[in-house]
Amino acid sequence: MKSSVNSAFLLRNSRLQSLGYEGIILIFVVNQKRSMRLILIGVVAVLFYSCTPDKKPDDQAFLESLDSTKTAGPGVDEEVINSILNQIPSPIEISMLLKESGSKYNVSLLNPSDNLPKYNSNYKKALNLGIYGTDLGYTNIFGNNQDGIKYISSIKSLADELNIGQFFDIKTIGRLATNSKNLDSLLLITTMNFNQINHYLQSQSRDNLSVLLLTGGWLEAMQITCQTAAKNPQNKELKETIGEQKIVLEQIMLLFSFYTADENMASLMEDLNQLKVAYDKITINYTYKESTMEIVDGVAVIKDNSTTTIDITEENIDEIKSITNSIRTKIIS
Amino acid sequence: MKKLAFTFLFISTFAANSNELVDQNCNSENLATACIPKLSTGFNFLKSYKVDGATKDKVEYSYVFTKGTQYMINLCSNGTASDGVTVSLFDKERNKVATSKINGQLVSAIAYPCNATGIYYIQYTFDEPSSHCAGSALGFKR
Repeated sequence: MKSSVNSAFLLRNSRLQSLGYEGIILIFVVNQKRSMRLILIGVVAVLFYSCTPDKKPDDQAFLESLDSTKTAGPGVDEEVINSILNQIPSPIEISMLLKESGSKYNVSLLNPSDNLPKYNSNYKKALNLGIYGTDLGYTNIFGNNQDGIKYISSIKSLADELNIGQFFDIKTIGRLATNSKNLDSLLLITTMNFNQINHYLQSQSRDNLSVLLLTGGWLEAMQITCQTAAKNPQNKELKETIGEQKIVLEQIMLLFSFYTADENMASLMEDLNQLKVAYDKITINYTYKESTMEIVDGVAVIKDNSTTTIDITEENIDEIKSITNSIRTKIIS
Repeated sequence: MKKLAFTFLFISTFAANSNELVDQNCNSENLATACIPKLSTGFNFLKSYKVDGATKDKVEYSYVFTKGTQYMINLCSNGTASDGVTVSLFDKERNKVATSKINGQLVSAIAYPCNATGIYYIQYTFDEPSSHCAGSALGFKR
């Protein structure tokens, strides 16, 4: 059967675009029976449907809501950035250490939840979302549910304003937060939610916001640890914890080096550099020794024979505490 | 005419389902999520890892482990217990400090009480036969 394409119409389907599908429908008008025409139109439409990215309406709104925070410069491999980002330890580890060190819960160490209205740029929102995330973990671990609920509300507000609120299972978190027996589940859900946010930001090539979120979280953990250590001068473990953060700071500085084109991030990097200078005075000595392993109940249980020792003085800690406090105050103000 | 119609229908069906077919090749995300509740009692969840080795012979992630903290890394796979997947831990100098393959026996989890703070590399490798597809979760306790 002969057929010929008489003309082709390029039609941008505004309805498809409103649903988040970018694409066009190429309609071949052929000199054919109607049924064949319909098959051709259907096939081409399906081809474009299956090839277009699954862009949800929230993604578009999210991108449009961003201000001038820039992504990494040209030539920077996103996979490299993401692998460094995912190295940064969760602040929840420090909160757990603080609890087990015997230190008492102290809400004055945290960023007040009613500072929220001050954060009117995406830069500040992302940083303080990380800060409030650490504060929430701290309140949860110490079982202070009332404070926890305030932080949940602030976190939800910031996340909504950054168009990532859909990742917070706010109902479940709120329900779990009312009962201290739900600590394990609460920590699990909040950790999962923050992981999902970071994964989403990275997948959308908005890793700059992920960097800010993680940095804010880490700075708040540093702040709480430094202030707690100051009140517990005999606690050697807290001092070592402060010293160990040199390793994390090195990774954070490496991340920030990819975003020097962004004014805000360049400014924060300058501040963090002061902290780095303080940490340069600290030495971490690593000695490797082969570990031993055995299988116990189907699990490989390892005995780690390697060690690290940290050379850190009271003066070092005071300097780090002071600079951390200064950087953090700037961010939360 | 019938041949042409059939060809187009085949192409459209394949195209429409192509994304789903790729996803179904390795459901590492689901496996990683399934691993979370399998962390031993007392371990708090930190991260989950997708282990999709379809196009590579190893999959690697990294994390800063802290002295004085015990970490657990577990494995979940389709089919047999470990499906030929080995998880190993390397320190910053790439010394192997832990592995889930001991004396030729594969287990599904490593418990690592860290004595030296630093960056550690979590590496997943595959012994044939293996689907090269798994999930993993990292947890900690003090």
